[in-house]
Amino acid sequence: MNLKNLWQGALGEVELNISKANFITWFKNTEIHSKKDGVVIINVPNGFTKEWLENKYNKIIFKALRGACPDIKEIQFTIGKYPPLKPTAKYKKEIQEITPEKQLDFEEFNINKETNLNPKYTFDNFIIGSFNELAQAAALAVTKHLGTLYNPLFIYGGTGLGKTHLLQAIGNELTQKNPSKKIQYLSSEKYTSELVDAISKKGMESFKPKYRKVDVLIIDDIHFIAGKEKTQEEFFHTFNTLYQKNKQIIISSDRPPKAISTIEDRLRSRFEGGMIADISQPDLETRTAILKNKAREKNFEISDDILNHIANHVQKNIRELEGALNKIMAVCQINNTPPNLEGVGKILSNLIAKPKKMTNFKDVIKTVAEFYDVNINDLIDRCRRKEVVRPRQIAMYLIREELNSSFPSIGEKIGGRDHTTAMYSYGKIKQEVQNNELFKQEINLIKDRLYG
Amino acid sequence: MQIICLQENLKQALNITERIIGRNLTLPILNNLLLTTENNRLKISSTNLEIGIISWINGKIEKPGEITIPAKLLSNFIGNLPNKKIEMRVKGSQLHLKCENFKAVLNGLEAKEFPIIPKIKDKPLIRIKGGVLKANLSQVVEMTSLSDSRPEISGVLMNFEKNTIKLAATDSFRLAEKIISHNQKESINQAMIIPQKTIQELIRILGEKEAANDNQGQEVEIILGNNQVLFNLGDVQIISRLIEGQYPDYQQIIPKNFTTHATLIRTELINNIRVASLFSGKVNNVQFFIRSKPALIEIFAKDIDVGENKSQIEAKIEGKEIEIVFNCRYILDGLNNIMSDKVILGLNNNSSPVIIKPVGDASYTYLVMPIKA
Repeated sequence: MNLKNLWQGALGEVELNISKANFITWFKNTEIHSKKDGVVIINVPNGFTKEWLENKYNKIIFKALRGACPDIKEIQFTIGKYPPLKPTAKYKKEIQEITPEKQLDFEEFNINKETNLNPKYTFDNFIIGSFNELAQAAALAVTKHLGTLYNPLFIYGGTGLGKTHLLQAIGNELTQKNPSKKIQYLSSEKYTSELVDAISKKGMESFKPKYRKVDVLIIDDIHFIAGKEKTQEEFFHTFNTLYQKNKQIIISSDRPPKAISTIEDRLRSRFEGGMIADISQPDLETRTAILKNKAREKNFEISDDILNHIANHVQKNIRELEGALNKIMAVCQINNTPPNLEGVGKILSNLIAKPKKMTNFKDVIKTVAEFYDVNINDLIDRCRRKEVVRPRQIAMYLIREELNSSFPSIGEKIGGRDHTTAMYSYGKIKQEVQNNELFKQEINLIKDRLYG
Repeated sequence: MQIICLQENLKQALNITERIIGRNLTLPILNNLLLTTENNRLKISSTNLEIGIISWINGKIEKPGEITIPAKLLSNFIGNLPNKKIEMRVKGSQLHLKCENFKAVLNGLEAKEFPIIPKIKDKPLIRIKGGVLKANLSQVVEMTSLSDSRPEISGVLMNFEKNTIKLAATDSFRLAEKIISHNQKESINQAMIIPQKTIQELIRILGEKEAANDNQGQEVEIILGNNQVLFNLGDVQIISRLIEGQYPDYQQIIPKNFTTHATLIRTELINNIRVASLFSGKVNNVQFFIRSKPALIEIFAKDIDVGENKSQIEAKIEGKEIEIVFNCRYILDGLNNIMSDKVILGLNNNSSPVIIKPVGDASYTYLVMPIKA
């Protein structure tokens, strides 16, 4: 018989012996805290209840517990953590009217200082679709098998797709489940700045152990340590220390470890050693679901048609999706009109019909060269080294896709090649994009940079 | 039980204890006061299961005993009696009262059923003058949050440190901090969050005792127990639960540097804001223009339905000019808790908090977040 059932049984008996009013007043929010060597410790919500149960109902409770479990010799009471009793003076819940003016509050209060986590991110409000279910499942698994199952967990995906949400949700879930665990969430940028601070103030002795003592280390946006050698070195050691002690490490990035340029190989291989999960772009259904959820969260009445319309037109990024919804909300509240399809179309027009940034042949070459860390001249030259050939093919593919240039002109621009070369490159890359999800993301990343 | 005591004393004790009693339907005995004899004195106790108040009064105890009596009835009755001797006698579950030409019989309930008010036996954390405690607590108590969603800021923080007690209260839109210095030798390091209601009761009771010219300069002992706190005022004790949780680290949000400083006369500022508040919109928004040439603060409020208003106050301005919108109630709450003639405002930009401090007194700090237009 578990403790909960034992207490329920005992309460059932107690209830028969005392008045309803007394029962409700004194036994609300009580539970058995533990049972050991015949001593039962009962958690009560406050000092008054403790005194009362100790002095008045001790016998009744004891008898009831003994009836169910004869080996009990003693009961003790302790004040546990419970929500306070409802205040006797009823305060009307202030319904905050949403007006264009917004009273600002101290935002810092909402962040847990020890862990850096913002409690608003939880698994409950994380919407799952085919595009992120792997990452979500991996994250959830991590919370159940800390440090043993997937270590490190590496989550990557484009901007505004929910990486931070997922990371913080893991942290929040863990703080709730095991409050004793030391959890630390920070962005790699903060890690770097703390390191710089430590170096300049000669405080490395205190910096080093700080992150080596945690049970769970969550680093957001790891790609920002690319090219920062000292940070990478320090992180490498932190990583190793934690990993050896079976402490959980969770990392996010906007691209897979392979695609982070200028990161040391030893780090890269470590990132790849655990579980890599990606978050890709959400499909229409998920986008609609997300919007519905957000609208409900904000208590905003809006029809499914309109949500569909927004989801249809804002495709790439969940953050933009939310932004669009916020904008519609604001406009409707200012004008005091319910949202309709026509109005929404107008409101969104400048969001949706964002003029596609123009790009040109030079930019494409430059971006691709930078992305793969090759020389622009090599890319155009006749060089046939493998590490140059592939970027060259990708560049040709992108020029065709994005600029719709003719094959002869592509060949012409990239080192005066034959148009068949351009056609071959285009076909090859296109097929790979279709077949290889990872590669598709890589291409998307380049596009992001191109237009970003 | 058989007692003779003075109406005045009894009335005061009833006033002190009776206020926390609300209407409790599930447990009717909570609407009652417990009257007991203890060490040749009459002890009156009340509780709402969050706070317990005990008050002792002198009287002639002829026969010990105990009873509980409905609080409102007893205090209304005693309140209307002349200030003469009152004779009280318990017969069964009834209380017989006699005072000059009045006689009454009040139906009560058995004392056995009255909740036991927890005892705290630890050593006092600190002893502090009642008047000082009252004055300082009143400066912060209003700023606590009324919402249940964040229990840890629904109370007043008392942070005991070496030589100081820091009081703080916030509802996440504004914050007040008050530092009391003490010279107790032993260093104590303790923080606790006390429910707003408890602090209000404490202030009220201290005020009532002050008004009765009773125990002037009397010290209050603050004693921390398991999840409870006891304020011992000598012949009155207030016991309350504490709020669990970690108080937010508010120090970090108090800005240290400002781009604009304005110094001006407090009463003028209060007056002009009050005038502006008549014209403010739904969220009590009032606009402040801080100008350096000529050096003044312009206060502007406008509502579509009401009209608009503009006023100017001379001020000493240092630093950049700035325009900023505030909820005027929040600003007034702070200004009303400052005693000095002049106040200094420190500002940075229209989305970061303004700090209000009395000139010549570093112990009080008030912080308000602006309204983002």
